Amino acid sequence: MSRAAAAVAVLAGVLSAQKQDFGAAYSFAERAPRTVLERTIDKLLPSIVKVHGASGLSTITSYATGIVVSDKGHILTLDQILVQKGRTRVVLYDGSVHQAEVLPADDRLRVRLLRVDPAEVEGGLHPIWPKQGDGPLFRTGQCVVSLGNCFRLAEFSEKVSATFGVVVGRANTALRYRLADVQYDGDLILTDACNNPGHYGGGLFDLDGNWIGFNTRLLESKETNTMLSAAIPSRDLLPYLDEYVNGKVQAESPKVVRPVYTGIVLFEPSGRTSPPAYVDRVVKDSPAAAIELRPDDLIVRIDDYSVRSCKEFRDVLAKFGPGAKVQLTYKRGTVVHQAALTLAEEKQ
Amino acid sequence: MIAVTAALVLLPQDPDLAAVRASEQRRVEVVARCAAAVCSVGDMSSPGGGSGVIFDPAGFVLTNYHVVGDPVRPKGDKPAEEVRPTPPEPPHAELEAWQQAHPDAPADERAQFVAAWQGRWRDEHWPTGKYHWHNKKVGLPDGEVYEAVVLGIDPGSDLAVLRLLPKAPGQTWPACAFGDSDQLLVGETVFAMGNPFLLATDFTPTVTFGIVSGTHRYQEGGGNRMLVYPDCIQVDAPVNPGNSGGPLFSEAGEIIGINGRISIGDRGRVNVGVGFAIASNQIVNFLGDLLAGRHAEHGTLDMSCWYMTAPREQTQRRGVFVQQMYKDSVAAAAGLSLGDEITSFNGVHVRSANQLATLIGVLPAHAWVTLGFRPTIGDGYGDERVVPIRLSPLDTGSSADAKADAERLASRENRRLATAALCRQWPAQDQGTGVTFTLVSGTERQQFRRQGERLRVDRGDLSLVRTGRGAGFAIENGKVRDSTAEEAAFLERQFAGNTLLWTSGQRSQQLDGSLLVGGAHVLGAPAWRFALAGDGEIEALVFRDGSPAGCVLRDPLRRQRVELHARSGVAQLIADGAIDKACKLEGPTAGAIADDVFGRPQ
Repeated sequence: MSRAAAAVAVLAGVLSAQKQDFGAAYSFAERAPRTVLERTIDKLLPSIVKVHGASGLSTITSYATGIVVSDKGHILTLDQILVQKGRTRVVLYDGSVHQAEVLPADDRLRVRLLRVDPAEVEGGLHPIWPKQGDGPLFRTGQCVVSLGNCFRLAEFSEKVSATFGVVVGRANTALRYRLADVQYDGDLILTDACNNPGHYGGGLFDLDGNWIGFNTRLLESKETNTMLSAAIPSRDLLPYLDEYVNGKVQAESPKVVRPVYTGIVLFEPSGRTSPPAYVDRVVKDSPAAAIELRPDDLIVRIDDYSVRSCKEFRDVLAKFGPGAKVQLTYKRGTVVHQAALTLAEEKQ
Repeated sequence: MIAVTAALVLLPQDPDLAAVRASEQRRVEVVARCAAAVCSVGDMSSPGGGSGVIFDPAGFVLTNYHVVGDPVRPKGDKPAEEVRPTPPEPPHAELEAWQQAHPDAPADERAQFVAAWQGRWRDEHWPTGKYHWHNKKVGLPDGEVYEAVVLGIDPGSDLAVLRLLPKAPGQTWPACAFGDSDQLLVGETVFAMGNPFLLATDFTPTVTFGIVSGTHRYQEGGGNRMLVYPDCIQVDAPVNPGNSGGPLFSEAGEIIGINGRISIGDRGRVNVGVGFAIASNQIVNFLGDLLAGRHAEHGTLDMSCWYMTAPREQTQRRGVFVQQMYKDSVAAAAGLSLGDEITSFNGVHVRSANQLATLIGVLPAHAWVTLGFRPTIGDGYGDERVVPIRLSPLDTGSSADAKADAERLASRENRRLATAALCRQWPAQDQGTGVTFTLVSGTERQQFRRQGERLRVDRGDLSLVRTGRGAGFAIENGKVRDSTAEEAAFLERQFAGNTLLWTSGQRSQQLDGSLLVGGAHVLGAPAWRFALAGDGEIEALVFRDGSPAGCVLRDPLRRQRVELHARSGVAQLIADGAIDKACKLEGPTAGAIADDVFGRPQ
């Protein structure tokens, strides 16, 4: 290229900086987008990356999708692929492959940040941030597009998959958390835009391109053999993103769950898969002793959560913090009793 | 009731709602038009089946190879003749006429006449090749069930073409045209049609709606490189068992793909929003072979490449590098060796191994391509070289059948019908006045001029003139003489087979008596191959829109089999399989040519 031509090219680059053309990064030449949906997808694709973890365990999917959330190289992905320091690779939209640093995960949301070195990214990073403003994040019935690398169909510079649908509703999983097959405690956006293995970690967007949801694992009911596509509302990610991307320390870190103490020791014979929650003994001067719980009492309910096993007893208790007062329902012989149990903090 | 209606009419129209209703109305109309061409494909004897789409009013149906299923194979040395049509008795009128001409003929002579008549019928109606399919049962949305003949198959990427047998002479069917799948963009709305789970017993197709989720996806096949989907369209429109072979339509109602497979994850064999359709631009590359009844073969370079960090450089640069290659492969013959970096394919910059597989996978065997590569030199890579390569046939699981059936062709009758159907698609334009073009090969220039039945070819000091069928003369170094037998044959063959010399109005006439023998890939575009009557194994090449693509013939002057490929001013000359790199084309241009050009100087 002659010097003059190069100068013209640079000028053209400056002039078109507002309207960047990503087309050259992809494998196949394509026409320009025409519809709102085509334009939105075209604009968002450079922010979606492919994440490859360490493979080796056949039961854990070793690939997922990620979303670029900062120009410092932060990439948000699901904490359910096998990430291992030095073994996690991120493939940007232009096909460039980068080793990613693994940052601490958020245990409640089950999301994790990765970080690539922005200096090594030639094409530049195209971060997006959860939808801003005070208005509602989404409405039931609104059209959405979901972006992610389902079934690892896209490799290197190939485009990840896009699926289209509507918001079916909002679900609060707290009541079913760990009791059914639900592995998440909080609000979820339900959608009929298809979500599949590998699509997890991608984004759910409205037609204006606002980031409203973060694709999480399918909600699955083994009882009814049904599955639902779900996404975490993007604003629920803000405390975690703010802490690790923007360095804002939270007043109370959402992921620190302080264990509680009741003084109840359950009867758990080894060899039984799910023993019912019979009390084996009660520690002296403990909250349980205060309500006069006795050995051989069967705990059946804590507040509105039914307790069918020792495991469920612990799972339900994990939902409460020290100081909480719960309604304990237990059976002594053939009589059902209720008592208010105040949870103490477990001493280390 | 009247008051309520009045209130509804008086309500102000929501402009957004009006736009949605208009868009819905358009979609309803497109769906209704397309649905008429969507069919349900089943077997005559067993349950199950798939879908298909009529792409030509003459009743040609496209479906998946896996819907057509396995052929009836020959048992031992005996060909599987039981699936070929049984010759009927000669028409009554013909028998009567023969009997009146031979009133005293004994019975065995009459039997000989019938046998001869049936022999001719077999020549017309029997396909070549060792094995065949039982006819299929095809149900159309109007509720009619037709019998259909299996013509061509493409096991390599899961396609087959059937022909509906008419219930009345000259019957035509509603058909849909192919769209340009390379114009698809992620997010574009599409709809799939077919008969999933064989729900419709009256063959009304099921319509599902969605968006293009991905384009140019490469999906591996089963064992032995069969049923590969090298360039497919990923859609979130529900595609289920039974949808196989059915069409994927663009918003405008053009066939942009054939739905053939789905990704299912761990949810059993039902839709999870990830369906794949074979792209229409790949399909048209094989349509010639499929209509002619061939076992379509895919092209290959017989090498495998990896996308990796450049092994000979101390950088992190990634590229596509040759990892394995057959010593006798076409790539090796073109000068490639292990470790070379692949940079481009047919002018497209190669960015990944998948992309290269996609680019090659959509091309038929024997297509000429250009490959750009940087050879390994010392510790690094040399300058980019671009070489022409003719793809060799990919060895698929059915390759043994393919070799045995290299000449597998549909019956003459079916190929004649296909030829007629293709000719009908071309616009009938005014009879051109004359055609001129010049072929330059190195220092050799050949000028061709044709007007009506007359043709003149000037090659250096030699001018050959055809003044009519079998008549002409030659001018050598200014001296007029009679043409030799070779020169006359050269003129006749060029006149008959070189489509560049045909004016648009003459195409159907020139192809009169010709038969479709397959497809060809001419300079990046699919073309039909027609075998012409006459000596010299002449094949005329015509693009899908009817424009000239060149010819294949034995050139009596060069004493070589010459293939001329031409497309929009670019030409490729292949003599005995070797490409002439210096070949250029000027023209063809239309315009009247003075009579004295063809006159014999006194």
